[in-house]
Amino acid sequence: MSEYILELKGITKIFPGVKALDRVEFKLKRGQIHALMGENGAGKSTFIKVITGVLTPNEGEIYLDGQKISFKNPKEAQHMGIAAIYQHVTCYPDLTVTENIFMGHEKVQKRTKRILWKEMHEEAKVLLDELCANFEPKVLMGSLSVAQQQIVEIAKALSTNAKIIIMDEPTAALTKKESEELYRITEKLRDQGAAIIFISHRFEDMYRLASEVTVFRDAKYIGTWLVNEITNENLIVAMVGREITQLYPKKEAIIGEEILRLEGLSKTGYFKDISFSVKKGEIVGLTGLVGAGRSEVIQAMTGLMSYDSGKIYFENKEVEIKNPLTAMQLGIGYLPEDRQKQGLILEWGIGRNITLPTLDRCSTKGWMNEGVEAVMAKELLEKVEVKANSVFDLASSLSGGNQQKVVVAKLLSADLKVIILDEPTKGVDVGSKSAIHEIINDLACKGYGVIMISSEMPEILGMSDKVVIMREGKVTAIMDREQTTQELILESAMMNQADFS
Amino acid sequence: MAQRNILAKKQFSIKSFFFQWEWLLVIVFILINVMNANISDYYLNPTLLLDATMTFLDKALLVLPMVFILVLGDIDISVASTIALSSVVMAVLYNLGVPMPVAILFCLLVGTLCGYINGILLTKFKELSAVIVTLSTMIIFRGIAYIILEDQAAGKFPKWFNFLSWGYMGKIPFILIVFVILAIIFGLLLHKTTFGRRIFAMGNNIEACRFSGVQVDKIKVIVFTLTGLMAGVTAIFLTSRMGSTRPNVAMGYELDIIAMAVLGGVSTAGGKGRMIGAILAIFIIGFLRYGLGLINIPAQALLIILGLLLIVSVMIPNLKGRFQTLRKVKS
Repeated sequence: MSEYILELKGITKIFPGVKALDRVEFKLKRGQIHALMGENGAGKSTFIKVITGVLTPNEGEIYLDGQKISFKNPKEAQHMGIAAIYQHVTCYPDLTVTENIFMGHEKVQKRTKRILWKEMHEEAKVLLDELCANFEPKVLMGSLSVAQQQIVEIAKALSTNAKIIIMDEPTAALTKKESEELYRITEKLRDQGAAIIFISHRFEDMYRLASEVTVFRDAKYIGTWLVNEITNENLIVAMVGREITQLYPKKEAIIGEEILRLEGLSKTGYFKDISFSVKKGEIVGLTGLVGAGRSEVIQAMTGLMSYDSGKIYFENKEVEIKNPLTAMQLGIGYLPEDRQKQGLILEWGIGRNITLPTLDRCSTKGWMNEGVEAVMAKELLEKVEVKANSVFDLASSLSGGNQQKVVVAKLLSADLKVIILDEPTKGVDVGSKSAIHEIINDLACKGYGVIMISSEMPEILGMSDKVVIMREGKVTAIMDREQTTQELILESAMMNQADFS
Repeated sequence: MAQRNILAKKQFSIKSFFFQWEWLLVIVFILINVMNANISDYYLNPTLLLDATMTFLDKALLVLPMVFILVLGDIDISVASTIALSSVVMAVLYNLGVPMPVAILFCLLVGTLCGYINGILLTKFKELSAVIVTLSTMIIFRGIAYIILEDQAAGKFPKWFNFLSWGYMGKIPFILIVFVILAIIFGLLLHKTTFGRRIFAMGNNIEACRFSGVQVDKIKVIVFTLTGLMAGVTAIFLTSRMGSTRPNVAMGYELDIIAMAVLGGVSTAGGKGRMIGAILAIFIIGFLRYGLGLINIPAQALLIILGLLLIVSVMIPNLKGRFQTLRKVKS
């Protein structure tokens, strides 16, 4: 028996035009949680696809239990005990939990091929109980929360008797409490003898769980360290290839008069009695658990959703925001959470993407003026330092961080006074993250009022002048920068559950 | 960080200029004309060729707004029923003694209203797809036409009404002039205005449009209403060409119209396509039909050819993609 359950040597994978992996090494010990880190585009996803047999490497060797193997297809990898839980849960929402768990390896009677529903439900129940899940195997997958779906995916991995489990950013969409639950399950799996590869952008995940960490950068293997031997700074240098001096560069913006104020905004079933305000040059951090009603409040402010009662004041005048267009005409811009689905047209050039909200500026009486448009886009793209060659580069050709910059540039094209950012750095790597933080600070310095929704505590603490905390549709606390601590925020975001029972 | 210079001018590339769907359509168009000229000596007669356009241009008028709808990522299969209903209303009103110009006005009005209903249904009930909504209205509009006229014909229009489809201005058929003018207007609207730009944006990613302050519902209603209006216009020319109308008029037109747009390179998935392609496709199908008609090829054989053409036209862009990846791997 070899010391390593899985060993990969000199793996190279070439796609047309790009080297996605360049002589990558990886060693996974038995009963260990091994963190895999790197910026977006470092090759982590391709690497996983090689391990799970989705892709065949051009060069390199894979050893499972000391034996050289090669997978022809994902099914073979599954048979050898390798299972992966992907970043975005890949489930069938209209099927039951049981069907999702046994998808691809249903239990059937040998001769008649009849599906053995009863046996499958029973085994699913056992698996779910083992994971301390609080839902039945017969419910529809679509009715579960993301965290619960994650548990189903883990149950699916267990049902194939996986020895090696790969988790690709499982905590990305989870709240603190749900992540805690996931940690517990992951540790339990490890104690039962599974080896786990854990991919995450969150440092806390790594410190909490992993004993070793491997870093990839630009498709290359950088190194493997014991988690308790490497410092945070060294790890960042390994990932980014340069030092990031300050994670949260706080520029002191001059805070001016009030621009936007909400008074007692309510919508039945979503949020109640929301009041807070934004001043010029101020960054207001809006936080709370996922489902606390943060996004809904913002959608009401930007006209994407209606509200029942309450008032919105813009520059001390009461306004009614009927749709996103009126919000934009007033000067309220919204950077949506999902940049690929809600922010960009991926098949379009970045220039056209930027001018979409402000076509009136590059047209006369409805007739497009494409020359003016291109110049306008060029100036905005240079302002936010997007890495691109031309305004005609397709949005889909940019990396995640650069796409996010394009969406920010899109906001800058309009004449705005308040900018609302919904999870601006979600799923963005460390390097681009600090670039986006700098842009946000820049916006505040230029006198924009900024509202930033974030679930990431360090981001909220590092960036905001004022923190608004929501819980179950209500504002539970508003704190100034000086008073705010992680503990206070958590307390306001989670405590007093009894009030609502 | 060094300031990067981002190019604002499009670099002209001969390869991408000639690597366009429309060039392929031009080649097909020429081939069809060469073929037609070879099989029939009568084909290359300018007068006859111009006359031939009269037989398919009424239908072609509806391809113009259909391109808009397909670019939106929607579809409208109720257009033929809308033609029938507006045509029947016009004929019945005229036969009841309403002056012809007023009857024509009502024809346009009914068409516009039908399109407006489609648009409102689609935007108010977002869970319904365009296929389902227009399938329902397709049945309803045709049903109303049958109720109004039952299974009868109505006609006996004034002499001047025949001019619309049969008349000439100089040597050029009147309908051809109307078509050219409308084609230019629709082409400019789609490709040169903010309205057109927003339609393309909506076809690509309607969610992103909503977040960008594009009034998606308003635009959708406008496009469907415009299609209804054009169905009314088509009804006028079609009725003029036939001399009378029945409730089952224009049966199956919707598929012809959509087929022309698709052959023209307009994607049914939305967000892609050009007016010039659709216009070329109209003339390809029109002349193909005319040429084969000259040598008495049965209509059924014609349908097979049209079907094959359509499959090939949808296939070729895919082959192009495959060819490009092949080349990339080699280099």
